[in-house]
Amino acid sequence: MNELLWFVSRATGTASIVLLTAVLVLGALTAGRRSRAVSQTVVVGLHRSLALGTSAFLLAHIATAIVETYVSIDWISAVVPFTSGYEPLWVGLGTLAFDIVLAVVATSLPRHRLSRRVWRAVHLTAFALWPMALVHGYAMGTANEPLLRLVPVACALVGGAALVWRALAGHADQTRRRAVLTQEWS
Amino acid sequence: MSTRSRTDRPTLRVDRVACTGHGVCATLLPGSIRLDEWGYPVVLTAAEDGVDDGDEARAAAVRWCPALALYADRSS
Amino acid sequence: MNLVDVLEQSGLTGRGGAAFSTATKVRAAHEHGAGLLVNACDGEIGAVKDAFVVEHHLPELVRGATLVAGTRVRYAAHRGSATEARLRAAGLDVLAAPARYVSSEETSLISLAQGGLARPMTKRQPFVRGGSDSAGRRITPTVVLNAETVWRIAQVVERPDGAQWFRGHGLPDEPGPRLVAIGGAVPRPGVVETAAGVPLAALLGAAGADPGRTGPVIVGGLGGTVLRPDEAARVTWSRAGLAPLGGAPGPGVVHVLDAQACPVDALAAWFDHAAGESAGQCGPCMFGLPAIASDWHDLADGVRAGGSGSVSSRGARARLARRAESVRGRGACRFPDGVAGLASSALRALSDHLDDHARGQCVPGRTPRSSHEHALAH
Repeated sequence: MNELLWFVSRATGTASIVLLTAVLVLGALTAGRRSRAVSQTVVVGLHRSLALGTSAFLLAHIATAIVETYVSIDWISAVVPFTSGYEPLWVGLGTLAFDIVLAVVATSLPRHRLSRRVWRAVHLTAFALWPMALVHGYAMGTANEPLLRLVPVACALVGGAALVWRALAGHADQTRRRAVLTQEWS
Repeated sequence: MSTRSRTDRPTLRVDRVACTGHGVCATLLPGSIRLDEWGYPVVLTAAEDGVDDGDEARAAAVRWCPALALYADRSS
Repeated sequence: MNLVDVLEQSGLTGRGGAAFSTATKVRAAHEHGAGLLVNACDGEIGAVKDAFVVEHHLPELVRGATLVAGTRVRYAAHRGSATEARLRAAGLDVLAAPARYVSSEETSLISLAQGGLARPMTKRQPFVRGGSDSAGRRITPTVVLNAETVWRIAQVVERPDGAQWFRGHGLPDEPGPRLVAIGGAVPRPGVVETAAGVPLAALLGAAGADPGRTGPVIVGGLGGTVLRPDEAARVTWSRAGLAPLGGAPGPGVVHVLDAQACPVDALAAWFDHAAGESAGQCGPCMFGLPAIASDWHDLADGVRAGGSGSVSSRGARARLARRAESVRGRGACRFPDGVAGLASSALRALSDHLDDHARGQCVPGRTPRSSHEHALAH
């Protein structure tokens, strides 16, 4: 049973990293250049539903990591970063990333009742949670399981490319807004 | 809930400053919103051949707008 | 009798252009404890009447503002203007706005006064009740009144039977004395005190122009209406008189185009200016206004380059008309609506000139012809 939990924890953790990267890429597609080939409605829909799906995998990952007893991770260190007895730094990064996920989800579900500035400020912290999760996954993936290390590396490449595209591929709306904003307005 | 008549419904409006032209509203409300030549929504009135897309679709369009730009104006 | 009741009886409406009931605005301001911004920006092209009020009627202006909002009053003027200097010299609390068109709009001034940029905000509800901008920044209740409006408030309240005195001017549904700035190609540009119902010819005459022999006349500025010289000579300056031509007295500006110069080129400069004045916030405005300007340039250049002129000119005119219609009502402020109105009226009033341009000619000061004469001219 313990062994099964250990495997489930690894599997759901790896799946979370893949899903998180997919959510990031879709988010970049939402904010970046509009394309006629890709429906924004589908992109936004996938971004939101995959984000919620990722949360479910994350909960399973964390719950199984606590319950299995090979390594000592308790309920507190699942929420408070860097308090784990086992690999405090690498586990702590994962914990911190999870806390940010909680904040992002908690502000996105009721986003119509929040100010856009508050929602946006919290949402942008997702750019920090993603690399944390990757490093956590890479460091915790034991060396004898190459797949566990390969996945974070591949995700880093894909997600990184999406972020570069997002930064470079401005669309007409954004370009015009920025250009006019440089004029005298105060 | 079709007991409410069309007239006492809040009007759908676009916060033009917030709208960046994702076009999600036009996909979800094909009868009442179309996009102009630059990709920004035009909310069609009944006089402009706008067709009611139903309460559910309207609520979904408001919820799914990535820019939080579509809103139901309850003051009108 | 209280202030709102007197204003209600007087029928005073906003002199900034929107002509909304001042009594209603002041009542709402009192209900929501709103502060007052006096708009003395003269933001419309050719507007100088706010400067006139500040220069000649400052004590009354200040008393009017105090009547509305006590000590919670600020005075908005364009940075570097003589009006700003006069307001400062009088020791008033001045909000210096960038000297540009949309920055003079009421929600731009509210945004600037509350630490934001001088760009229009979406009114999800009137800001006299407070609210927030599109990013979610809190906006405290503020009412904006045009400088002439505030001066009129003082006049109505301080004169014996002020409401009656006020209604003794103008028309029953557009009462009260009004300031109009007349400029452009006229011998004596300046501010005239008049009232709705006066013939536009009288206003042109007051500025020394010869009605009917001027160039086309733009009533209401960048958000106004182009009139043919013959129309300008016979129309009444009032809501009812200008409505059939798509116009309104608006912010009280009349601009006369030079009869010796090409009005199509003159309008091209106006549309270019409009395109450059968009605050770059609302898609239909930031793309629509440059598109309108570019369409107008096509017409001015004579679209037909390769022959079959009138056909492609007709197509270009239809596209411009369609674009003007499509930006209407689709901005946070009324700026795109105003430019759309100017474009539609220019298409109509300068139709003959546009025909000339389509043929590669330009005849300034031409008199309008009937379509029969058009056929003969070919």
